[in-house]
Order: sequence, then structure tokens, then C-alpha cells
Amino acid sequence: MDRADIKKALKDPHKWGEKYSLWVTYFCTGCGIIEIPPVITSRWDAERFGVIPMATPRQANLFLITGYVSVKTLGYIVTTYDQMPDPKYAVAFGSCPIDGGLYYTSYNTINHLDRYIPIDGWIAGCMPRPEAIFIAVTKLWKMIDGEMVDGYKRYKENIEYYRKNQERVLGKEFIESIPGSVAVTA
Amino acid sequence: MIEETIRQEIEQRYESCLVTVPREKRVIVTLPKDSLFSLIAFMKEQGFQHLSFITCVDWLEESEFELLYHLATYQDGIHAIVKTRIDRTNPTYLSIVPLFEHAQTYEREIHEMFGVEFVGNNRLTPFLLTNWQEIPPMRKDFDTKEYSERTFEHE
Repeated sequence: MDRADIKKALKDPHKWGEKYSLWVTYFCTGCGIIEIPPVITSRWDAERFGVIPMATPRQANLFLITGYVSVKTLGYIVTTYDQMPDPKYAVAFGSCPIDGGLYYTSYNTINHLDRYIPIDGWIAGCMPRPEAIFIAVTKLWKMIDGEMVDGYKRYKENIEYYRKNQERVLGKEFIESIPGSVAVTA
Repeated sequence: MIEETIRQEIEQRYESCLVTVPREKRVIVTLPKDSLFSLIAFMKEQGFQHLSFITCVDWLEESEFELLYHLATYQDGIHAIVKTRIDRTNPTYLSIVPLFEHAQTYEREIHEMFGVEFVGNNRLTPFLLTNWQEIPPMRKDFDTKEYSERTFEHE
């Protein structure tokens, strides 16, 4: 950090803390797991950016979803996202969470992830290079500085919309298993 | 040649069987559905101790399901495929769980993906799909694109 940044950091210390300690939950149930080990180990060394893989979602604030999302994993994604503390940022990696990608016509793969949880950033590509994760992280810094990352706030405001979409795909039992949630359909 | 002896033994016992040996260490047995259980029991005695997997093929135009049982021997490494066809409109068949216990999982999957009922398998519960209310998805008359657009393309 150079001197100009010290002034900025002292002005907004909580932003400074959020920016340089993004602890990540990697959700690699589809493809994309191959890109993650070189990112967190010595080849690209994500710790330069303050990005550390975290063992549990309860201590993480960046949620990285790589690859296609099947209906079964969507339930776990929603549970994981609900567990993370605020402020939390979700980034989808690869083209399949954006619009279904290669699995657009599949009966078992959802097409638009942002209808079920709010997504703050998309990384397009099939698969993107590991450098794209760092581009996303630096973009996220700028967005945190400008207070443009409001995914977790949108989730709270529009919780009924998100729960309705989740119920449509995952069923009534899933919604009723979440504490404090009531299923919409009879 | 050991495949030829297997072929002759099966054909002696089961006259309705059609046994072919397409290449080395590969035997294909096609038979009507009523004698499949006893044939697999017989083959298990002959050394086919390993059931690799069970698959199902949907023949929509002939209105039939084809079940394929893949068996193998540990001694000679021979791979045998036992094929039979069952009715598609009322797909009920005998389970082979009494012979191979792990067939339970394969039959459970075929039950979920094709809707074939296996009599004798007491664990045909929901397996891989979540919140499924349509016809089984691996059937040829299931329109997966239409289902995807109807379910995931809503606002």
C-alpha cells in the first residue's frame, strides 16, 4: 500500500478491511475445480489479493460458484448463501450459471442463477482463465469503494421473489426446511 | 476357445436364446423376458460373479424397453451382455436383487429415469431427481427443451 492509500484507508476503515480480506467459499460442484488449485497455490497465489479459501461459509464473505448448477446443488447453494454473514458477495464463474450455457436444454440444470440468489459479478467464458478471478476481485474492490455491491441488500429486500423462485424449482419441502420461511403455494 | 464353450452351454440349456460372440472375450445373449432370471443365475454359477451395471434403452417406435445386464468373470475377463425386451406401456419386471445385492441401486436408477417397476426390489424410492412431477426424464417422448423452458425460463 502506498501513502495515498493510507489516507483513503483511514477515511473508511471498514471498506479497507472488507476489500483486502475476501475469504472465499468455493462452490465447485460442476466444472471449474481445475482452475481453483493453481489460483490458491503458488502459480497465481491468490493471497496477494487477500483472497483466502475458507473452510466454512460462516466465516467467508465471497461466494464463488464455478460451472453449471444442477437442481440438487442449487439447494446447497441457497443454504450456503443463507449461512454467510453480511456483507457477502457472490460471483458466478463460467457461462453456465449465466444462461445455462451448454446445458440450456437439460432437465436437471438451472438456466439463470441470479433468479435464485443475487449475483454481484459474472465471469463469462467456458472456462475462463484463472486470471479472470483476479480481474473480478479488482473489479469488486472498485465496487466496494463505490458502494455498488448491494447483492445482500437486494436479497433481503426481495426475499419473497427469491423464495418464490426457489420454491418453484426445489419444492415446498425445501422452503419449509429453512427457519422462518413459509411456502407460498398451498 | 472359452467363449465358444460358454455359447454352447447356454444354447443347450436355453433354446430360445440367441448367443453371439462378436469378438474375443465378448459374449452377447439375447433372450425373451421370462427366462432371464434363471439364465443370470446359471451364468453366475458358471463364473460370471461380477455384475458391472444394468442399463435400459427406450425403443419408442417398437414400444419396448430393452434391459441390458453387463456381467463379467474374474478368471478369464469375459464380458457378457444379457439383453431382454419388456413391454413399454406396462413396464414391470422381476428384480435380480436376490442374485446380486448391489443391483438394487441400478434398478433404483432405472426406475427413476425410465419408470420401470422392479418386483422384489423394496427400495424404489426417489433417488437423484429433486421435486419431480413429470414423466421419467430419460424416456424418448419426454421433451427436455420444453421442460427446461417452462421450468427455468420464468420471470
